[in-house]
Amino acid sequence: MQTSSGMDFIFNPQSVAVIGASDNQGKLGFHVMKSLTQGKYPGKIFPINPGKDEILGIKTYPTLLQAPGKVDLSVIVLPAELVPKTIKECAEKGVRGIVMITAGFKEIEDKKGRQLQKEVTELANQFGIKIIGPNTFGITNLHLPMNASFTPEFSLIEKGGVGLLSQSGGMSHMMAFVSMKNQLGFSKIVGLGNRCNVDFADMVDYLMDDPETKVITMYMEGTDQPRGLVDTAKKRMGQKPIVAYKAGSSHLSDQASQLHTGSLAGKHVIYEGAFRQAGILTVQSSEELLDTAKALTMCPSPEGIHVAVLSSQAGPGMVVCDVCEMEKLLLPPFSNGTQKRIEELLPPLAIRINPVDMGPAWYDSNAIKGIVEAVLEDKNIHAIILCIMFASANRASARTLSDFLTRRNRKKPVICCFSAPMGIWDEEIRQLEQSGIPNYATPERAAKALASLVRFKTIKEKGETYGRQ
Amino acid sequence: MDASNLLQSVRKEGRNSFLYTEAKKLLEIWNIPVTETKVAKNQKEAVQAANSIGFPVVMKIFSPDVIHKSDSGGVITDLRTEKEVIQAFDKMTENYRKSKSSVRIDGVIIEKMLSGVEVIIGVTKDSQFGHVLMFGMGGVLVELLKDISFRLIPIDPVDAKEMIREMKGYPLLEGFRGQKASIETLENIMLKVSTLIVQHPEIIEMDLNPVFTSVSGSIVGDARVIISQ
Repeated sequence: MQTSSGMDFIFNPQSVAVIGASDNQGKLGFHVMKSLTQGKYPGKIFPINPGKDEILGIKTYPTLLQAPGKVDLSVIVLPAELVPKTIKECAEKGVRGIVMITAGFKEIEDKKGRQLQKEVTELANQFGIKIIGPNTFGITNLHLPMNASFTPEFSLIEKGGVGLLSQSGGMSHMMAFVSMKNQLGFSKIVGLGNRCNVDFADMVDYLMDDPETKVITMYMEGTDQPRGLVDTAKKRMGQKPIVAYKAGSSHLSDQASQLHTGSLAGKHVIYEGAFRQAGILTVQSSEELLDTAKALTMCPSPEGIHVAVLSSQAGPGMVVCDVCEMEKLLLPPFSNGTQKRIEELLPPLAIRINPVDMGPAWYDSNAIKGIVEAVLEDKNIHAIILCIMFASANRASARTLSDFLTRRNRKKPVICCFSAPMGIWDEEIRQLEQSGIPNYATPERAAKALASLVRFKTIKEKGETYGRQ
Repeated sequence: MDASNLLQSVRKEGRNSFLYTEAKKLLEIWNIPVTETKVAKNQKEAVQAANSIGFPVVMKIFSPDVIHKSDSGGVITDLRTEKEVIQAFDKMTENYRKSKSSVRIDGVIIEKMLSGVEVIIGVTKDSQFGHVLMFGMGGVLVELLKDISFRLIPIDPVDAKEMIREMKGYPLLEGFRGQKASIETLENIMLKVSTLIVQHPEIIEMDLNPVFTSVSGSIVGDARVIISQ
């Protein structure tokens, strides 16, 4: 338990109070209750509502102070004006963390919102209480499990190694739903909302020490303390990958400047530079954020930038090469032994050097397997991108390859693009992904994902250099 | 005079913008290579300055009121003879006196004509990030292509290296058709600027533009410095 930071009371609480719990489906307090119960939260739940005896079959208390025993975390779903009083009650009860779903603070046009947030922050700081939010959908810890959000369906997300920090509820929901289809597992999903006293920097620090989180992903619109984030990330450079998708790429500068530098200094270019300085990987879309996270949670780090491209059709191999070139990855020739083996397995009807067009071995799953095996052994190759597009005649190849690849030791990253009509290779792909071989819907995305592994490797090495200094 | 005194004297005069000569002085104090600068108040002084520096020379307007010299006809390059210097002096001073009577003209600057790849090194203070350093490719294309990179100050040697290598125009710096940059001396200037800002955070903007870089080294051709009010 990282009691010092208090954050563990938020993410691994032994008891949760839902202040503003409700049995009315039209209220968020109902959906939060549903999330906690359906999500099989193993700790104690205390619904707080002065007008009810029980909600969803759970004994309900009129006030927080009447709840028996200790409360680690309060989820607040009350109107904004009741929040300051509630925080004082939380302090009195000894609550250590708050998830504040309530909206109506800094985000609203009315200046009172900003004032109220200031008041709430000062109260929380005074009492030493950490607040996630306000104006958030909540948080989810899939490993505990605890779904303290107003979306019960978040409990259906697979548990895994990706921590998601987001400034937007909409973007978090979308990425969670995409990931459900995509078999990407999460450790924690955190809606940071208006960020009272828990900002990106605090969360990065916490997730760096969180054993369940392997990759930290962020969707960001902006923060008042970007330097804090940069300093934290830089201090821990390379320990875990941090991937950021920063919205708002306009090149406009917000500076009233007379000089060149000032007029060129748009927020986005500064963010880009600062993130690079801090060893934070940046991506340009939510799709790329998830693709990158997937590769980084699943794959081992490549030893170098030498890529073998093996494709059962020429076209997908070609587009992989394009992306590799753009990303400064190299496709070297195979070593003599490997080349000889490939030539034994493949008739000279297509290109047999890197990138290999395995087309002529279509019907022969074992030949394809033999090629993959030879290339995996090649010491001059650091990673493999394997593309197989379904055709009726090559149907068996996916099973042969997934069986083979699953059994192998996985020191070398293999990234796949197996593509088939729905229902045909689903099981093979699942088998691959469960054994640490990610599959992507397009060859371009597979190649980009590999490039992100190489980018993180560079960051890791840089972090080690800093560590030695 | 040290840098703190220089900053104080600018502030004492109620200015927040350094005179050209003061900006260059600041860089000299920090051992950042700058072009030799001579101020000339008349034709005769201009010719003397050109002869002592050696042809070809560049003439720039010297005025506390002109920030963008080249946009307003305040820079004439590649003057090769005394006659050209005299003509340029007349043209430049008359030009300003006629069209911009409110502008105070303190004379002209004579400098050695430099060559090399042009880059820009600059500083600005962002409302959230604080001081940031910029490196960019210079010349006419900089504004069009925005081939620039930023880092938060302070930077370290790795940052300086990466900033330069991030340029789309990096091959030009590495050596292309007879031109080649001195990347090490550029990195040196960037690191010095970063330290300068850490020690004098009252500087809120700085442009070293252009910085000329060639195999023989890197040298600041023009500089502007602005301090907080």
